[in-house]
Amino acid sequence: MEDSKILDLFFERSEQAILELDHTYGAAVKNTARNLLRDPQDVEECVNDAYLGVWNSIPPQRPEPLVSYVCRIVRNLAVSRLRSENASKRNSSLDLVLEELEECIPAKTDVEGELEARELARAIDRFLAALSYPDRYLFLRRYWFADPVHEIAARTGLRENRVSVRLFRLREKLRKHLQKEGLLA
Amino acid sequence: MNRDKLFSALGEIDPRFVAEAVRYAPEEAAAPSERSKHMKSKRILSLALAAALIVALGFTAYGLYLGFEYRRPAAEETFSIHWDDSPDGTITWSDAKLVVTLPELEESREIEFRTGWLPGEMLSLQSEAWKQYFTAETLSDNGNNVGIPAYQGMMQPLQIQTFCTTQFNQGGALLLLYQTPGEIREEHWEEKNLDVLLFRSSIHFDAVPDYGIPARDQVIDNILLLNQEEGWVVKVVGQIGEEQLRKVAENLEFRPTGNTLRYEDFDSHFAFFDAGVG
Repeated sequence: MEDSKILDLFFERSEQAILELDHTYGAAVKNTARNLLRDPQDVEECVNDAYLGVWNSIPPQRPEPLVSYVCRIVRNLAVSRLRSENASKRNSSLDLVLEELEECIPAKTDVEGELEARELARAIDRFLAALSYPDRYLFLRRYWFADPVHEIAARTGLRENRVSVRLFRLREKLRKHLQKEGLLA
Repeated sequence: MNRDKLFSALGEIDPRFVAEAVRYAPEEAAAPSERSKHMKSKRILSLALAAALIVALGFTAYGLYLGFEYRRPAAEETFSIHWDDSPDGTITWSDAKLVVTLPELEESREIEFRTGWLPGEMLSLQSEAWKQYFTAETLSDNGNNVGIPAYQGMMQPLQIQTFCTTQFNQGGALLLLYQTPGEIREEHWEEKNLDVLLFRSSIHFDAVPDYGIPARDQVIDNILLLNQEEGWVVKVVGQIGEEQLRKVAENLEFRPTGNTLRYEDFDSHFAFFDAGVG
């Protein structure tokens, strides 16, 4: 079902909205949670909480695209759960992918203290906009959805080694982009 | 840069990018790109065309994620190639053996190179001068007794040439006209940020009994070096053997000339890269 029709159902407060949301985007939402949480029960609870969050926020919100909205909610919920369960551990799949990104972004920068996440997000937007679709896809799957490399390889039909090399180059490109934008020394 | 801030920043990116990454559908990619739209559509068309050719004709070689895309053209495909000796300055060629296309950029940074390593037999050609073209054809012994024994019978021991990728925008290509390529390998040389194609090609010469010349196959090694970001490509080809050719390529030094060149700066948008003389 199209986003606009699903949103209409939410605005009508029809419970069919959740069913249609799950039918249309359930696979993507569950996959996002599964990449971050190992326990299937945690995944299920997290997805249900995300749907509840969508139910509670629409209306008044009318997000577009809907899939990004619900995936972002489930991603945030999964990370909150992860952080509360493993406060002292740094071994989740999310930590692994963020660690990759950290490696190409030096820890000590002149602006580290002041740099707001939103400003960084806009810089990443501009970086993504300048990439080809396949590169954007690789970057998002790895660093937003936290997909394992072998899954990205399977999704794109590329060899794992090729995906890894490409991701390495994308991180380098991001680092140069952030330097060019003055966000890194 | 702490991890939480990185996580938050990623969570704040444009939701359209997230939406388009839910499933892999390059043909439907709708998010805006800073690249010019006509170039993007040309590129997508070229990807689709090449992919269709691969499926239709069983070609296996197609580099998508390195900058190169290459294919063996269909028999009916023709190319208009710059050719000084023809009346209108071009020839139409219909029997190319390999077509290599390159990422489209608005501007290429023109470069020049110098050799950091040459085989011992070529040391007379070693120089500190920066160049855009290098040939060792004077060292091949073509029966005129001016060559050196090591390169006896060779047509082209070593040839190096630079190109700007913008020359090949909008459907242009580097073409292998005569030699038939074998297996094509792809590498990325991280240190110099180069995408690399390596392959061996050959051409068969029939025997000429009247002159006592036997049939033979001439084998050439080919290396193409591409810097996607700066928009240049360098061919390193020759008959000195794969190992030595690779060493030459790995030790090339590059520097920008200071010029930037665009598509419209070139008269011809096809160039051939067979290891010829001249």
